[in-house]
Amino acid sequence: MEKVHLVVDLNKCVGCFNCMVACKDEHVGNSWLPYTEKQQKHEEKWINPVKHERGTPPFTDLCYVTEMCQHCAEAPCEKTCPDAVHRRPDGIVLLDPEKAKGNPELVKACPFGMISWNEELETAQKCTMCAHLLDAGWKEPRCVQACPLRALSIVRCEDSEFDKLVEDQKLKPLYDGNHQPRVLYRNLYRYTTCFISGALAYKKDGVEKAAADAAVRLKLDGEILKEVHTDFFGEFKIDRIPKNSGTFEIEGLMPGYRPVCCEVTVKDESPCLNVMYFEAS
Amino acid sequence: MVNKITEAAVEFFDKTFLKGTLFTLDKLLNTLAKAAPAFKKELEAQDTTVQLKIRDNSQGRFLTFRNGEVTGKTGVFDTAEVEMIFEDENIARKVMMGQMLGDTVDFVNAAKNTSLVLNGPDDKAMWFSSLLLKVFAFDVLYLGNYGVTMENGEKRYVTGTNGGPLFVYVKDGKIVRVTPIEFDEEDADPWTITAHGKKFTPPKRTTATAYGMGWKSLVYSPDRLLYPMKRVDFDVNGDRHPENRGVSGYERISWDEALDIVGGEIARVRQTYGPGAVYHSRGSHHNWGTVGYFTSASNRFFNCIGATGMAANPDSWEGFAWGAVHHYGNTVRRGGAEPYSTVEDCMKNAEMIVFWSSDPESTSGVYGAQEGTIRRDWVKQLNIPVVHIDPYLNSTASFMGGRWIAPRPATDTAMALAIAYVWLQNGTYDKDYVAKRTQGLEKWAEYINGETDGIPKTPEWQAPITGVEARVVRALAEEWGKRKTYLACGGLHSFGSACRTAYGTEWARAMVCLVAMQGMGKEGVNFGGLQYGTPLDTHFWFPGYAEGGFSGDYMGNASGVQMYNRMPQSPSVNSEYQRIPRLRIPEAILEGHAEAFDMDNSTIHGQFRKVRYPAPGHSPVKLFYKYGGSYFGTQPESNRYADMYRSDKLECVVNQSVWMEGEARFADIILPACTTFERWDIGEFANCGGYIEKSYLQNNHRVVFMQHKCIEPLGQSKSDFDIFQAIANRLGLWQVFSEGNTEYDWVRRCFAATDMSKVISWRQFLKKGYYVVPPLPENRRDPLALNWFARGVKKDTPELTPLPSEYYGRYGEGLQTPSGKFEFEAQSLKRFDPDDKERLPICTYIPSWEGVGSEPYEKYKLQLISPHSKFSFHTMGDGKDSFINDIEQHRMLIDGYFYWIFRMNPKDASARGLKQGDIVEVYNDRGSVLCGLDLTERLPMGIVHSYESCSDYRPVGEPGKSPEQNGCINILTPKRFITKNAHGLAVNSCLVEVRKWEGECLKWKKCI
Repeated sequence: MEKVHLVVDLNKCVGCFNCMVACKDEHVGNSWLPYTEKQQKHEEKWINPVKHERGTPPFTDLCYVTEMCQHCAEAPCEKTCPDAVHRRPDGIVLLDPEKAKGNPELVKACPFGMISWNEELETAQKCTMCAHLLDAGWKEPRCVQACPLRALSIVRCEDSEFDKLVEDQKLKPLYDGNHQPRVLYRNLYRYTTCFISGALAYKKDGVEKAAADAAVRLKLDGEILKEVHTDFFGEFKIDRIPKNSGTFEIEGLMPGYRPVCCEVTVKDESPCLNVMYFEAS
Repeated sequence: MVNKITEAAVEFFDKTFLKGTLFTLDKLLNTLAKAAPAFKKELEAQDTTVQLKIRDNSQGRFLTFRNGEVTGKTGVFDTAEVEMIFEDENIARKVMMGQMLGDTVDFVNAAKNTSLVLNGPDDKAMWFSSLLLKVFAFDVLYLGNYGVTMENGEKRYVTGTNGGPLFVYVKDGKIVRVTPIEFDEEDADPWTITAHGKKFTPPKRTTATAYGMGWKSLVYSPDRLLYPMKRVDFDVNGDRHPENRGVSGYERISWDEALDIVGGEIARVRQTYGPGAVYHSRGSHHNWGTVGYFTSASNRFFNCIGATGMAANPDSWEGFAWGAVHHYGNTVRRGGAEPYSTVEDCMKNAEMIVFWSSDPESTSGVYGAQEGTIRRDWVKQLNIPVVHIDPYLNSTASFMGGRWIAPRPATDTAMALAIAYVWLQNGTYDKDYVAKRTQGLEKWAEYINGETDGIPKTPEWQAPITGVEARVVRALAEEWGKRKTYLACGGLHSFGSACRTAYGTEWARAMVCLVAMQGMGKEGVNFGGLQYGTPLDTHFWFPGYAEGGFSGDYMGNASGVQMYNRMPQSPSVNSEYQRIPRLRIPEAILEGHAEAFDMDNSTIHGQFRKVRYPAPGHSPVKLFYKYGGSYFGTQPESNRYADMYRSDKLECVVNQSVWMEGEARFADIILPACTTFERWDIGEFANCGGYIEKSYLQNNHRVVFMQHKCIEPLGQSKSDFDIFQAIANRLGLWQVFSEGNTEYDWVRRCFAATDMSKVISWRQFLKKGYYVVPPLPENRRDPLALNWFARGVKKDTPELTPLPSEYYGRYGEGLQTPSGKFEFEAQSLKRFDPDDKERLPICTYIPSWEGVGSEPYEKYKLQLISPHSKFSFHTMGDGKDSFINDIEQHRMLIDGYFYWIFRMNPKDASARGLKQGDIVEVYNDRGSVLCGLDLTERLPMGIVHSYESCSDYRPVGEPGKSPEQNGCINILTPKRFITKNAHGLAVNSCLVEVRKWEGECLKWKKCI
C-alpha cells in the first residue's frame, strides 16, 4: 500500500514559519476527534522550524531545520505505549486521544521530543499529518499547503519506491537510530556538517586585491581531499566537512605566486580563516 | 411624429412602472420579512411613516411601518416622517432600474440635481434608504447566497489581507481555517519565462505570509474590542482627567452613549474653536479592502466633518523620495523606478544581482506575500551570482546565499562612492550612455576623485568608515564594472533600512547614480531583485486602495486619476487645509506649532514647500481622533506620544480600533471596529495603486477577490463604515457621507466600475469569490522599464506619469528632470539651495550625527538598526495573543511573557555579561525597552538589530517615563529629520547600550 512520506528541503526553507502558523490555524480551537483534540494556543507546537547557524561574519550560513513527528515505521512511542499509539496502513502514526489523556508517559516515549503535553486538556499530542483532511480528500497537510516553495513536500508511494528516492536524492534522517522515519531531509549537511571558509589576497601596486580564481586545496595528512577555486572576492568555502573530523591543511595556489598554507582544526564550529596573502615567487 | 409617439410611450411606461412599483412595495417588504427573520428584524428596527411621491404630487404612496409590518395607501398625505421625492416619473424609473442593475450614474445625477430628495430624521431616512437597497440584495444579505458550500457543510469564502488573499472556511458562524488560494481548472493559466534555455512557470496558487495565515487568531483575539468603552474617570460634562490617559481603566458604555459623546464633542469643539479643532490620523495601513480602507470611508467621513489632517512623511521611502527623485524623477513612486518586465529581463540578461539594503523575503516588497520567493528560487537555479549589502544577514541573503557585506549603518554611501571611484579610475562604466543620456557626471567625479575636498573616495578611504575591507569593495566594483548588473536597492525598487538612516537621502541618490553609470534601462542593467515587474496584464483595470474607493476625494488620493470617470459618486472635499507633519505631532499638540517640508508625489519641486501648523485662521487641535494604536511601535522617539496624550491641550481623545493596544489605551472613548472578515469589501492581491502604481506586478498572478462577510461582527463591534455612518447620522450628514448606501452597495458599485464587470457576473463573483486575470501572450507583454530612455525614444511604458507639466521639453520624451536627462548634478537641488551641505546638488557622504565617532558614541557603543518587521505587518499580527507570538524568531517566551527580540553578536554579549534568552534593557537618553536577547552571527560586532513595530505599549511604570516591556524599539530612535530640508525619519541611525534587566515584569498569563 502507498505510504505517506514528508520530505523537508533545507535549501528551500525561507524561514517564513507558515508551517507552524498553519498548523495552529488548523488545530487551535478545532477539535478533530477521533484524530486529535485541540492544540493548545501557546507553548505547544507540532511543527517548528528551528534556526541553525554555522560560521561567523561574513561567512555565516543560516538555515532552518523543521522539527516535527517523524512518523516512524519503528516508532519508539509505539514500542513504549503500544495501546495509545496507532500506526495506520498509510504509515501515519496517531495517538489515541482517549488513551493519551492523562498519560504523560507518552511525552517521554518520543526520544526526539515531538510529543507535547497539552496542559489545558491534560493530554499528550502531536502532529497527525492532518490525517483528518487527507482522509477527506485534501492532497496535502496544512503545513505543506502553506509552504511557499514546498520545502515541505508530500510523497505518496510504496516503501520500495521511497527507498529509491532516498538513495537518489540523498535524503537523510534528522535523528540517528533505527526508528525508520517517514519524514526525511534533503540538504541536511547544512545542519550536520561544518565548512571552512577564508580569503586569499595579494598586493599589486600597493593595493590589496582579492585573489580571484585561485586554487584552494583541502588536505589531510598530505592527501588532497578536495580542490575548489576562489570567487571574485578571492574567497572560498569548503562545505560538508564532518564535525570533529580533525586537523586539515588548507593550501592556496595562484600562478606566479608562492603557495600559501595554514592548518585548521574542525570541531563543532565552522572555522573562518584569517586572510592569507600571496607573495610573488 | 414618431418622436412624439415614442415620448408618449415612454411617459406612459414611466408612469405605469412607478405606479406598479409603489403599489407592490409594501407587499414585497412583508413577503421578504416572512422569508427571512433577519429582514423582519430590519423592518422592526424603526416605526415610522414614509411618503413616496412625485414632486408635483401627481403620484404617491404612503407607507406605515409598525412592529415589522408595512401597510400602504395610495395618494399624498402631509403627515409622513420620511419623504422620498422624485422630480418626475422618468427619473424615478431610471434610478430604480439602475439600482437593480448596479448602474448608479442616474442615481448620483438625480441626487446632485436635487431631482431625488430624501427628507426626515437622519436615522429613519437612512434606515429607509438602505432598506430599499437591501431588497435588491435580499438573497445575498438574508439568504447567505454567496461563497462555495463544501461537501462537509463548511462554507468557503474569500478575503484579502496585507499578507495575501485567503480562502476562509466557516462553519456554524465561526471561522474554521484560512488557507492560501488554490486555483481550479477554470482559472487562467500562468505565464512562462524562458531564460538560459530553461522554462519557468509559477504554480497555480497564491502565497501567504505568517501574518496572513495567522488571521483567525487575530479575529478571535482576547484583545478584541467588543463594546464601546469610556475611560472611567472621563466625564464629558465635568472633570476629564486628561493626566490619567494611559493609566486609568475603562468601562463599557452603549453605542448610543458613545455616539452622543463623539458626535457631541465633534460639534462642540468645531463650534467653539473653529476649523482645525478636530484632528484625524491613522497608521500607514489598514485591514485590506477598497471600500472600507482609510483612503475611502475614513477619508470621506473626515472630509464631511472637516478636520485637520496629517502630512505624511514617505516613511518607507525617505531617502528615495527626498533624494533620488532629484536625479531621475519617478516621484509617482516616491523615487522608486518603473518595474515593467524587469523580472524577465533580469532572469534573461543580468549577470549579477546586488541586493543593497534589500530584504524582500522579510518585507514581501509590500503586500506581496511570498510571491517573489518563488522567483528568487529560480535565480538560485540559474546560478546568477548575488551579493547582499546589509549590516544584518537578512532573510533574503540567508536564503539566496552569495557574499554578504555588512557595512556599519548609515555608511553605505561611502562604499557606493568607492565603487564609483573604481569605475571612474578604470573607465569601467558606460561612457556612451553617460554622454548621451546623462549630464553632470564630471561634477560628481570631481568630488569622488578628491578634486574638491582633497579626499579621493577610494576603497581604502571607505574601509575605516564602513568597516568593510578595501579588497572586498574593490573586488565588487571591478566585477560590477564587468557584468550586466541588476541593483535591488531596497525591497521594492526603493525602501530598505539604509534609506531611513541619517542622510539616507545620499545613499538612495548613490544607488540610482551607480545604475545610471552602467546604462540604466539597457538589457540586464536595471533595478530590482525579482520582487516587482512580473509579466502580468497591466491593461485590465481594477483599483488599488489608494484610488480612494468611494471617498469622492479627487485631491487627497488617486481618485482623480482613475476613479472619477468610472465610479459615479458625489465628490467630497475637506474645507480645512490645516495639517500636522507626522514626525512632529506631539510637538504640534504640546508646543502649539510645528513645521516640515511637504511630500508631493506629483512633482520634484513640490517637496520644497512647507506645511505649517497652525494654519492661518485655524484652531489648534482639541479633539484627537485616531484610528488604531500603531504610533508607539512605528514612530521615532515614541515616548513623546505618551506625553502628548496625557496633556490637557487635548480635550477629547477618541480611538477607533479593532484591538485594545498601543494608543487605544490613551483614549477617552474607544469605538470598537470589526475586522474585514466581519464586513463586505472587494480588493486585489497586493494592489495598492496610487503611490506604488501597478504594485500587483509583485505577484505571480493578478487575483481580484470579493471580501465576503464571512462571519457576523463580534460583540457589538461595527465596520468602520458603519461607525462613521452612525456618527454622520448624529451630525445630519448621513446622505452626504454614504449617499444612503451601505457598505455592500458600495462594494457592488465598485465592482461595476471596474473591468471585472466585463469578465464575470456579480453573482458568479459573489459565489466563487475570486478571479484570476489571464496574463497576456508573450508578444503583448509590457516594454522593459526605462529601456525607452536608454534607447532615447519616447516613453512607452504603460503609465500616465510624470504629469505633462513635469516635462520641460517635449511631452513624453526623457525623464522628469528639468533636462530630461539623468542628472548626476541635480538642477532642482541647485535651484533650491546649492549650498545645503546636507543635500548638495551632487551626492556626497555625510557622517551620521549618531554613528561611530559621533558624540553620543562616547556613551552608547552599539549601532541599532530596526528594519520593517518580518513576521508582523508593522503592528498588524503582532501581540493580541496571536499565533504570531509563537514564532520564535518574532518573540521569545521568557518567564511567562512573550518578549520582543533584540539581536546581537555573541562577542558583544559576552563583553556585557549577557547570554542567550536573557531579559535585557536596551537604553539610551531617549528611553529604555525590555527585550529577549537572541545571540546571532547574523550581525558583526558593534551592530545590533531589532524590528520596529511592536503593536502594544506596556510601560512597567509611569507612561513615557519608565522602561517599556513589550518591545517598542522606536522609543529609542531619534526624531531628527533625515536631512534638515526634508520631512523624513532616520531611525536606523540610533546608538544604544544594553544591560541585563533585574527588575519586575508583567506576566503574559496574567495579562489575558
